[in-house]
Amino acid sequence: MKTGKPQFNTIRLLENISIGSAVFAVVLCVLIIVNYIQVKRADPLNTPAMSALVEKLQNDPGNEQIRQEVRTLDLLARKAFFTAQWQVRTGGYLLFISILLLVSCVKAIELMQVKLPDAPYGKPALFWENRILKRRWLVYSGAGLFVLTLLLAWLTHNDMGKDLETAGNREPQSVNRDAGSGIRDQGPGNQKPAAGNSDSVKASPDSSSNILHPASDYPSWQEVKLNFPSFRGPGGIGITERTNIPTSWDGKSGKNIKWKTAIPLPGNNSPVIWNDRIYLSGASESKREVYCIDALSGKILWTSTVDKIQGSPSQVPGVSKETGFAAPSLTTEGIRVYAIFANGDLIALDMDGKKVWAKNLGMPANHYGHSSSLIMYRNILIIQYDQRSGPAVMGLSGKTGEQVWKTSRNVKISWASPALVNTGKRMELLLSAEPCVACYDPLTGKELWKLDCISGEVGPSLAYAKGIVFSVNEYSNLSAISTGETPKVLWENNEYLSDVPSPVATDKYLFLLTSYGTAVCYDAAAGTKYWEHDFGNPVYSSPMLAEGRVYIMDKKGVMYIIKAGKEFSMLGQCPLGEGSFCTPAFTNGHIFLRGDKNLYCIGK
Amino acid sequence: MPKPVCVSPGLTVTPLRKTAGTFMLTASATLLSTMAMAIQRFPKPEFESAYTQPQTQIPLPRGEFLAYLDVFVLFASLCLITWLVLKKRSRFWVFFMSLFSLAYFGFYREGCICSIGAIQNVSLALFDHSFVIPLSVIAFFLLPLVFTLFYGRTFCAGVCPFGAFQDLFAFKPQALGSRLNTVLGIIPYLYLGLAVLFAATGTDFIICRYDPFVGIFRFNASFGMFLFAGILLLSGVFIARPYCRFLCPYGVLLNWTSRFSRKHLSITPKECIQCRLCEHSCPYDAIDVPVTTKSPETRPAMVKKMMMLTILVPFLVLIFGYTGSRLQETFAGVDSRVKLAKEVLALSKMQDAGNKMQDDSYEIKAFKASGKTESQVYSEASAVLKKFYVGGWLFGGFIGLAIALMTGGRMLPVYRTDYVTNKGRCFSCARCTDYCPVKS
Repeated sequence: MKTGKPQFNTIRLLENISIGSAVFAVVLCVLIIVNYIQVKRADPLNTPAMSALVEKLQNDPGNEQIRQEVRTLDLLARKAFFTAQWQVRTGGYLLFISILLLVSCVKAIELMQVKLPDAPYGKPALFWENRILKRRWLVYSGAGLFVLTLLLAWLTHNDMGKDLETAGNREPQSVNRDAGSGIRDQGPGNQKPAAGNSDSVKASPDSSSNILHPASDYPSWQEVKLNFPSFRGPGGIGITERTNIPTSWDGKSGKNIKWKTAIPLPGNNSPVIWNDRIYLSGASESKREVYCIDALSGKILWTSTVDKIQGSPSQVPGVSKETGFAAPSLTTEGIRVYAIFANGDLIALDMDGKKVWAKNLGMPANHYGHSSSLIMYRNILIIQYDQRSGPAVMGLSGKTGEQVWKTSRNVKISWASPALVNTGKRMELLLSAEPCVACYDPLTGKELWKLDCISGEVGPSLAYAKGIVFSVNEYSNLSAISTGETPKVLWENNEYLSDVPSPVATDKYLFLLTSYGTAVCYDAAAGTKYWEHDFGNPVYSSPMLAEGRVYIMDKKGVMYIIKAGKEFSMLGQCPLGEGSFCTPAFTNGHIFLRGDKNLYCIGK
Repeated sequence: MPKPVCVSPGLTVTPLRKTAGTFMLTASATLLSTMAMAIQRFPKPEFESAYTQPQTQIPLPRGEFLAYLDVFVLFASLCLITWLVLKKRSRFWVFFMSLFSLAYFGFYREGCICSIGAIQNVSLALFDHSFVIPLSVIAFFLLPLVFTLFYGRTFCAGVCPFGAFQDLFAFKPQALGSRLNTVLGIIPYLYLGLAVLFAATGTDFIICRYDPFVGIFRFNASFGMFLFAGILLLSGVFIARPYCRFLCPYGVLLNWTSRFSRKHLSITPKECIQCRLCEHSCPYDAIDVPVTTKSPETRPAMVKKMMMLTILVPFLVLIFGYTGSRLQETFAGVDSRVKLAKEVLALSKMQDAGNKMQDDSYEIKAFKASGKTESQVYSEASAVLKKFYVGGWLFGGFIGLAIALMTGGRMLPVYRTDYVTNKGRCFSCARCTDYCPVKS
C-alpha cells in the first residue's frame, strides 16, 4: 500500500496516542469485566463472617460489642460493594474516553494520510462460477435452516396449547386452596361436593333443590323467582311470590323474632337470598366485606374481605351519610354472589366466599355515592353505572368478569337500580335516569326503546306490572309507560313524588311512597288516585308486595303492613327496634330485615 | 499558501483535510473535558450518617415540539446527505455528516426513536388498533424509505447513528467473499420476520431489547449488551458495519426500496474507463463487477431451473410456513402472558398433586393480587398461542419466500460493462467516488 506525502511528526504522534489508547482500552475492558463479575458474585450482607456474627448476636442479643461489630462489618461490606459498582461505572466512562481518543486519532490519520487505491491486480473474479456457488450455498443454508427449525420445533413442542385448553375447560376438582388468591375458577361444577372440602357440603343442605338450567351455567327464570336474588326481589320490581309471610312482630320484645345477628360493618344494601343463605355487604372508608348468613340460624357462615383488587383507587370515595360505602345490594344466580362498592370495586365470590374474580370499574363520579344495585340475567351480571363521566350500562360474564356488552347512555347520574321484566314477548332491562326511562335487551345491551319523561337526581327505581312501567322522581313526574315496540306515556301525575323509595305495582294498583312518609294508591291503568295515607315518619326503604299486602318500613324501623287494595286498610304495624334504610327480603314464612346494625329474621 | 499534495484527482491531502484532522482531535478533547465535569446521576449512599432515600426521579415525557423537531432534523439531514452523496460526491463531508447524526440521533437523542425500531411500532399499530402510533414515529419509519426509493440508501450513509457509529471503527475492512455475504444476508430477513412477529402479537419489541448500541448512547448498557456491542465494534474493525449488513431488519426494507431508486449513487459521474481502481474500494462488498461473458449454463438449462424454482416457491413457502407454525410454542414462550399461564398451570398441578408449595414468584403474587382467574390467564395465553400459530405460518412463509427469491435472483441473466454499485447493498457512503479518476 502506497501512501501520500507523510506528515511524520504529527502522524507518528497520533499513531502513538492511538496505540496507547488501544492498550489502555483493552486493559480497562479486562478490569471492567473482572470487576463486574466480582460485583455480580458479591453478596455483602451474607458473607460467612457476617452470618457468624449475626448468629452470635441472636444467641446473645444484649451484647453491645457484637452489635457494634456487625455494624462495622456491614458498613465495610457495603462500602466495598458500592465502591466496586462505582469502579465499573467509572471504568465505563474511561473506556469510552479512551475509545473516543483512539477513533479520533485513527480518523485524523486517515484524513491526513490518504491511502492510494490498490493498483488493479489479477483477473476479475469469476462471476458465473461464483454465482452458481452462491446459489448452492443459499440452498444448503435454506435446507440447514429448515432442518434446524424443525428440530427446534420438535424438541420444544410440549402440547402447551392442549394443556392450557384442558386446564381452562376442566371443572374445578377442588375449591381455592389458596385463600384470597383467586387461583381457582368456580363454575357450576362447584355445586358438587368438593374433594377435601366437606364444609361446602355441610353449608348447602338444600343444594339438591338448587338445580341449574340443564346444560347451562345459570338458573332458569322460574328458579330465580323461587329465590330473592336481588334488590326488591326477582327482577328488582318489589314483588315476591313467597307465601306465609308474617304480619306481626316486635323487635323489642322479641315476638316472632327468630334470630338477630349483628353485621360487622355498616351498609345500606338490602339482603338477597339464595336457598337458605343470605348475602349482605358492609363497608367503611377503608374496609369492604361481604357476608353470608345462614337463614336458619343467623350464623355468619363466612366473611369475605374485598381487597387487593387491581386498579382499586387509594382515595376514599365521597359519599353522603344516607348512601354510605356499601349502598348497592348484591345479586346472585346461585353459583356466585356479586357485590359492588362505592369506590367501584366489583367482586364475584363463590358460594363459599372465595374470590372468583374481581375488578375495579373506576371510581364513580357520583356526589352522593354509588347506590345502583346489581342484577343478574342468566349468566350476565348487569351493572347500571350512570356516572358523571361516561354513563353506561354493562353486562359482564358472571363466570369470568369479562365484558359481554356495554352500552353508553346519554344520561345524568342516577342512583336507581335496574329492573328486569318479562313482558311475555321478551325480557326487558329497564333503567331510569334523567332524561329518560330506557329499555335494553339484557343479553346484548341493545337499546330497545327510550322515552324522555323524567328529570333530576333520580333515586327511585322502576315499578312494573301488566305491561306498564312506572317511573317517578322528586321535582319531576310520576309516569306510567306502556312498554313494547311502541312505548307511550299512559298517564302522568306530579301530586305525590318520591326521591328515594321506589313504587310497586299490581295489575290493578300502583303504590307510591314519598320519602316523607305518605303512601298513595293509584289505578295502574288510568292514574286515578284511590287513597293516600300519611304514616308520619320518613321512609327510605322501598315497599314490597307479598301475598296481597304492601310492606312499608319507615326510617325508624316500623313496618306498616297495608292491604294492596282500592281502599286503605292497615293490617299491622310492627316495630323492629332499630332504624332502617333497607328493603326487606322474603322466603316462605320469613322476612329478613336489615336494621342499622343488625339483621333480623322474622318468622311465625 | 501550501499546495495540495496531488496523488489522484480524488485523493488529495488538502489543507481542508488537515484542518479536519485537527478538528477531530479538538472535538474529542472538548468532549473529554465535558465528560470530566459530568456529575454522577445518583449520589453514592452514605451509611456513616443518617441516610435519606433519594427522591424518585421520573423523567418527563419529551415535548411534542421536540418530537417534531426531531422529524425536521431527520428530514433536513436526509436532504443534506442526499445532496452530499449525489451532487457533491464527497466522502469527506459524508463522514462529517455522519458524525453529526451520531451526536444528535445517537448520543443526544439516545438512539430513540430510530427508524429501525419504528418497524415494531408500525407492526403493532397494524395488528392492534388500540395502539396509537405517534406521527413522529411514522415519519421516522417512512422518511428514510421514501428517500431511498428516490436516491438510494443515503440514510445509511450518514443519518443512521448505528451505521455512523460502526463506520468509525472500520479501520481495516476486509472483503468477506461474495458467498459468505450471500448466506449471512439471510439473517436480516430472519430478524425482520421475528421483530414483526413479536411486535404484532404484542409480545415484545426485540429490536429495542437487543439493541447493541443504545446502551452505549445512554451510558447504561447491561453487561450482555455491552459485550454484544463490543464484539460488533471489534469485528467491525475488519468486517465493516456488521450490524448493518448482517443484522439490521430495516436494512431489508431499504435494500428492497433502493433497488427501485431512480437516482442512485454511481461510482463514476461519467463513463467508466475500466481502470479497476474502485474494484476493492468498497468495504461492504457492494460493487458489482462487469459481466460481459456468457453464463456457462445453457439457456434451456437455466429456463428449466427457473421453472423448477417457480414451482418450488409455493412449496418452500408452505414447508417453511409449517415449520414456523410448529415453533409457535417456542415463540410464545417469550410472551409474559404465556409465561404466567405456564407458571399458574405448574402451580395448579403441584396443588393437585398435593405437593408442598414453594414461595410464590413475583408473577404469581401479582396474578393473585390482580383478581384474575386461572381460566382468564389460560384463555389469554391460548389466544397468544393462536396468534403465534398464524404468525408462525406467516413468518416461516416469509423466510421460505425470501430464500427462494434470493436463489431465483441469482439465476437471472446479467450483462453489464461497467463497475457499478449494487443498488440493494450499497450504503451510498461515497468512498468509491474518491477512487474514481473520472471527475464531473
